[in-house]
Amino acid sequence: MTSTSFDDTEKRIRALLAKDFKLDPGTLTSDARLDELGVDSIGMAELIFNVEDEFGLKLPDVAVQMSTFGEVVHFIDQAVARQRTATAPNSMAHGAQVGT
Amino acid sequence: MRRVAVTGIGLVSPLGHNAKDVFDAARSGRSAIHRLHIAGAHRLAAPLAATVQFDGTEHFEPPQFRLLDRVSQFAVVAARRALADAGCDLSAAEREHAGVFVGTGMAGTMSIDEGYQTLYGENSDRIKPMMILKGMHNAPAAWIGIENGWRGPNLTYSTACSSSSVAIGEAWLRLASGAMDIAIAGGAEAPLSLGSLKAWEAMHTLASEDAADPARSCKPFSRSRSGMVLGEGAAFVVLESWDRALARGASIQGELVGYGLTTDAGHIARPSVDGQAAAMSAALAAARIAADEVDAINAHGTGTQANDVAETAAIKRVFGARAGRLPISATKALHGHLLGAAGALEFVLSVLALRNDVALPTMHLDVADPDCDLDYVADVARVGAAGRTMLSNSFAFGGTNAVLALRAVD
Repeated sequence: MTSTSFDDTEKRIRALLAKDFKLDPGTLTSDARLDELGVDSIGMAELIFNVEDEFGLKLPDVAVQMSTFGEVVHFIDQAVARQRTATAPNSMAHGAQVGT
Repeated sequence: MRRVAVTGIGLVSPLGHNAKDVFDAARSGRSAIHRLHIAGAHRLAAPLAATVQFDGTEHFEPPQFRLLDRVSQFAVVAARRALADAGCDLSAAEREHAGVFVGTGMAGTMSIDEGYQTLYGENSDRIKPMMILKGMHNAPAAWIGIENGWRGPNLTYSTACSSSSVAIGEAWLRLASGAMDIAIAGGAEAPLSLGSLKAWEAMHTLASEDAADPARSCKPFSRSRSGMVLGEGAAFVVLESWDRALARGASIQGELVGYGLTTDAGHIARPSVDGQAAAMSAALAAARIAADEVDAINAHGTGTQANDVAETAAIKRVFGARAGRLPISATKALHGHLLGAAGALEFVLSVLALRNDVALPTMHLDVADPDCDLDYVADVARVGAAGRTMLSNSFAFGGTNAVLALRAVD
């Protein structure tokens, strides 16, 4: 279930953070606390906005409560998967998408 | 009252980015007004503006840049330049009391314009999270305070087109009274969003385009004037108590000797001869100088029908028979109307005019107006005419009139 989809989500979020907050991608390990890297609560709100644009999602406000890079990636990846399920015309198509 | 020295100048302006370039452009009558090329400019009756050559990414790292509207970028960079020019390095104790005084009329209007685009233009329920922090009026002052660690008064004045003269004047009051020793004061404006331009256009205050040359579209005191042209930018000065400046061996560039502040309490937009004259008189009184000691004036001189006639009448009321012999400069013909930053830029130009003893020209004064019959230094700078003492006038929608009195350094 992880693998390609998860890796792609992680890569795109890492790229967003690196660009907007000028972070070294190497510091963005799974347990890295974003507030310690300079992404404060306001920055998190902006990250969420940009993530919504990047992935075409609408995230709930609870998203701003996350603290580590891994939590953010996990949360977004789940949201991406949910959206695929919601927009898939049938379960066969869903399965096909997850497999890609 | 203590004497107050101008010890630093910082500019981000349509005429240039340092005092020499800006003064040379003003002296030679080089207009920065041009056709504006922004998205939607074709929807403007006369797409004109005086813009700044400026790329914020050259001055700020991405984490900070994303938080700064163009107006705050202008303000912070101009403040940096003023502080560098002043060459002052404040101790931790001095920073506890150092003040920041900023005037802006429309603050982060570009971010607000952009922010509401998703809501109204795209029918989205999402607004960029930084819109409030980028758009708020006190953002430019806050960022100057943050960057320099200045923890004294951090104040923003928004009195439309007199905002930055008020900011400089209010700083002067505190310095002259002894309440503080050093301040940075000035203004910033970045009003060139389509929404802002359309709103000014709707007021019927903007100039039509000169048929032969767009750069000549703003014509203060000329019978052919058709309105103002918006400009963007920032201007700041470092103000210090005279003794402090002397003690540290600072290069004193001018002396701010008085500040007059009056309110029309009349019409929201129509200028008042009474209010303008009272502000000039108040500045003279604060400076403890007589009207006949004034050698030249930097006029508010917007190029609108209403302002130029009222200001001419107000100058006559204050200076009587001498009014006709005073060189009066309206530099907005060149740098446009910077709204909340206009007063600061024109104060700086006045400091430079006194330093160089040059009365700056009022450009594009093509046709004499019987209602504007003073000496506006038409089209050509006048060497040896600025003298030693000047007034810099700023008037505003809302009726807040601010006049700064300044003197050359011996």
